[in-house]
Amino acid sequence: MASNNEEGALWSIMGYLISGLLIWGGIGFALDHWLHTHHYFFLGGLLLGAGASIYLVWLRFGRE
Amino acid sequence: MHITGHLASGPGFVPPSTTDFKLPSIFGHSDYATKPVVLVFFSVIVISLFFILASRKAAVVPSKLQFAGESIYSFVRKDLGQEIIGAGFLDYVPFLFTLFVFVLVNNLFGIIPLIQFPTMSHVSFPYVLAIFTFVIFHAVGIKRQGLVKYLKGIAFLPGVPKFAYILLTPIEIATYFLIRPVTLSLRLFANMFAGHLLLLVFIGGGNYMLHDTHLFMKILSPFSFGFGIVMTFFEFMVQCLQAYIITLLSALFIAGALVEEH
Amino acid sequence: MHGTLNLVGYGLSAIGPAIATGLIFAAYINGVARQPESRNVLQPIAFLGFALAEALALFGLVLAFVLK
Repeated sequence: MASNNEEGALWSIMGYLISGLLIWGGIGFALDHWLHTHHYFFLGGLLLGAGASIYLVWLRFGRE
Repeated sequence: MHITGHLASGPGFVPPSTTDFKLPSIFGHSDYATKPVVLVFFSVIVISLFFILASRKAAVVPSKLQFAGESIYSFVRKDLGQEIIGAGFLDYVPFLFTLFVFVLVNNLFGIIPLIQFPTMSHVSFPYVLAIFTFVIFHAVGIKRQGLVKYLKGIAFLPGVPKFAYILLTPIEIATYFLIRPVTLSLRLFANMFAGHLLLLVFIGGGNYMLHDTHLFMKILSPFSFGFGIVMTFFEFMVQCLQAYIITLLSALFIAGALVEEH
Repeated sequence: MHGTLNLVGYGLSAIGPAIATGLIFAAYINGVARQPESRNVLQPIAFLGFALAEALALFGLVLAFVLK
């Protein structure tokens, strides 16, 4: 990814954050549905997804 | 066609809603002859005519028309092609140029008098454009790097401890194959949709206030119309910007597929 | 009037990340304007700060739609 272009980098950061939350939040939501728990896996999945996508953003754009 | 905010539509102001985007068919009852579809064909004719006329009598000292056509072309070629894609950018300039001009003209339909409907406020049109970009940038990446190497470059970022791949690989795959085309189309759609609604609110509101029985409301209605005009200029800016952004992001995706992950 | 208060709550919670993003880029632009060669050092920091603030905003968006 051309990180010298700031606008593109910002949009792709947002893309990573959205997909991180969607994927891991979605997995948590499915686990909740399956195990009949009340939102615990969902909240955990969201936190995990947010953490993972921030880590990914750091890997892509943070370490120069 | 139902006019937003008109007194005939019942007591009180009826705010514009998604039903204002469901336009009736122009010829007969066919679903394929609604206003957006006709506008897309019309835009193709307008664009073709403009650029054929602009490039027909190409001279060293350009006419005004030739200058207009060439400045749009050189903007896409230099600022979006050369700057972002770099070496070998000429292969992708035709796609980027077509995308930019097509989206720009279809967006500008939203504020051109008598037309006043942005085609891209129907979500299926941006979807098709995003599918084009999606297919092209993956095809370019696969052709340049080979299927396995390209997918490996997407899914497995180098320099990461092994267990982190469990977390990161689903996110990377979702970003490349789902989020990128979806956000590309939804950004354009949402901007055009919201912009058209905004204009409907102010013009329809002004219309409602003008027809109200109170004199006070009649006096205030020019402010609503005036704000509608201000918003029209704002929309002009947004429409140009969105045409630029979708082309810029397409160019960035292609550039990202060309560069090998290191 | 009908709808859900979740969206009002999300609107309020989006103020925080919005101000944060503004502050981050104000500082970044200031820094680059004063010392253009510091861009390469500042850019990753600004992007990471942006990612953190934006993650909170998206978090709020997801919660506003899912939690009942």
